[in-house]
Amino acid sequence: MKVLVLGAGAVGGYFGGRLHQGGADVTFLLREARAAKVGKEGLVLKSGKGDAVLPVKTITRGGDGGPYDVILLTCKAYDLDSAMDAIAPAVGAQTTIVPMLNGLAHLDTLDRRFGPEKVVGGLARIGAVLGPDGEVRHTSPFAAISFGERSGKPARPSLTALDAACRKAGIDGGLNANIDQDLWDKWIMLASLAAMCCTLRGTTGDIMAAEDGEALMLETVEECRKVAAAEGFDPGEKGIANLKTYLTQRGSGFAASMLGDLERGGPIEGRHVIGDMLARARRHGIAAPNLRVAYAVVQAYEARRARGGLAGSTKQP
Amino acid sequence: MKILILGAGAVGGYWGARLHQAGIDVTFLLRPARAARVRQEGLVVKSPKGDAVVPVKVVTDGGEGGPYEVVVLACKAYDLDSAMDSIAPAVGPDTTIVPMLNGHAHFAKLDARFGAARVAGGLARISGMLGPNGEILHSGASGVSFGERFGGAARDSLKALDAACRQAGIDGGLNPEIDQDLWDKWVMLGTIASMCAALRGTVGDIVAAEEGAAVMRETLDECCRVAAAAGHAPSAKVRGNIEAMLTQSGSKAVASILGDMEKGGAVEAFQIVGDMLARARKAGIAAPNLRFAYVHLQTYEARRARGGLK
Repeated sequence: MKVLVLGAGAVGGYFGGRLHQGGADVTFLLREARAAKVGKEGLVLKSGKGDAVLPVKTITRGGDGGPYDVILLTCKAYDLDSAMDAIAPAVGAQTTIVPMLNGLAHLDTLDRRFGPEKVVGGLARIGAVLGPDGEVRHTSPFAAISFGERSGKPARPSLTALDAACRKAGIDGGLNANIDQDLWDKWIMLASLAAMCCTLRGTTGDIMAAEDGEALMLETVEECRKVAAAEGFDPGEKGIANLKTYLTQRGSGFAASMLGDLERGGPIEGRHVIGDMLARARRHGIAAPNLRVAYAVVQAYEARRARGGLAGSTKQP
Repeated sequence: MKILILGAGAVGGYWGARLHQAGIDVTFLLRPARAARVRQEGLVVKSPKGDAVVPVKVVTDGGEGGPYEVVVLACKAYDLDSAMDSIAPAVGPDTTIVPMLNGHAHFAKLDARFGAARVAGGLARISGMLGPNGEILHSGASGVSFGERFGGAARDSLKALDAACRQAGIDGGLNPEIDQDLWDKWVMLGTIASMCAALRGTVGDIVAAEEGAAVMRETLDECCRVAAAAGHAPSAKVRGNIEAMLTQSGSKAVASILGDMEKGGAVEAFQIVGDMLARARKAGIAAPNLRFAYVHLQTYEARRARGGLK
């Protein structure tokens, strides 16, 4: 099985690197500068699960080195259009695209471009950033991916093969027969967390220190849960209980990475993570006042960023 | 008439400098570091209405140079306790305290400490800030408003202060409707501060969001309903002016609380937003936007307290 990973950012770099270490045939599709750097220095991983410098294969044109059985798409949502253009030449008749993006909106976009039969569901659970020298810094105790056929169909051979490769590489998670629910569960968590951290500009611990902080957080989770339920993916009481505990911990230093992006003045997945959840709430007639305020915050940020008005913003938490 | 002004920030400094220039007997009560600087360099004012270096009188102890007929309190709300301690020795039997703080929460404290009879109502509409060298960077509006709370005829010291303002070219002055004016200003400030702080942008940035103007109007409505419950609903004209100002596309207007937050500084969260929310709750008024804004400000304060802003 041949795997193509688009980009060697934090998520793609980490999982692609581990798959390579596990003996899988992995190629990275990179921009010229990044390809030159990785070609010269290797792909550098710094991780509690082991540091590594990996001499991975790189290409700069999607047409090279194929055909690929699996393409891991680990770009940010706002880069999806250029990412699709980049992978298009690598997509052959037997290729499966495994997108690891947040939210759900990208699935429709990918289906339209490549056909739904080529696109499966996928997500990553990892805390990782790119360091100043382009090294992948894995910062969370966990590093898992989850992927599978949408609508619960039996898994195609390339996904079974990817699952086996993940096991060999020591990556947690793997093939998931209920990826649709998992996508929703992760989105509920992420949308609640990002909406609250970005709107209130603090960690979950900071938010819990405000009189109504916990109430606001739990209301937001409930708004997202109702949207998931209306779309047929209610996580249920048990599914939501862990999440609620996690998001309301006193003194927690936990924050959405979107907050860091926003405080650096960078691009954010505001529409993808929050706006799309709000749009679905509206479509189903679900009141979502907290998501609405959060989306206004995110859009005000984007307006301010667009006019170059972010100088003097506070730094990272 | 002798006037003591606590604080030489944008409000106290600008007002006091202009009064001094007009020949009024003004003394500033300052902390030692600020006092030393002002004594040495004078009070430096940069203003579209004329730059000036004003050699004002300065004391660091409220017991000096009195008695004063008027004590102007031009501090931030979070400095009120220490400010009250500082002015206490300057407050004699015939002294009137004119507080220029935002919101309403300071009145209960001042009344309890000095007696309600000594405490008038007051507010500033002076836009400006302190520059890096302690100079007052005044950017336009230069109005003050003060008067007897709960109506009633103005006492002589307030009339004298009014005359002094006229002499000094300060707009506004004695206002028989100061209670309404305090609410009008708080409604405006509660709205703009909540929104600029919670949404982290200027009025123009907020209005650029799809629902920005709607959220702004709702917040204004929440504040207006709280004011109405207190018997001080803004007039249709005042409300219309506030709404027009706060929904103007492309506007660079912004609450100073946002600048304070982006510098990592202290904020008047309770006095401007939290107290408005508390009053909404007491009156049974739904105020989801104020609630959101107050959670935002308290989150900021928690993060600031743990040193998490840098």
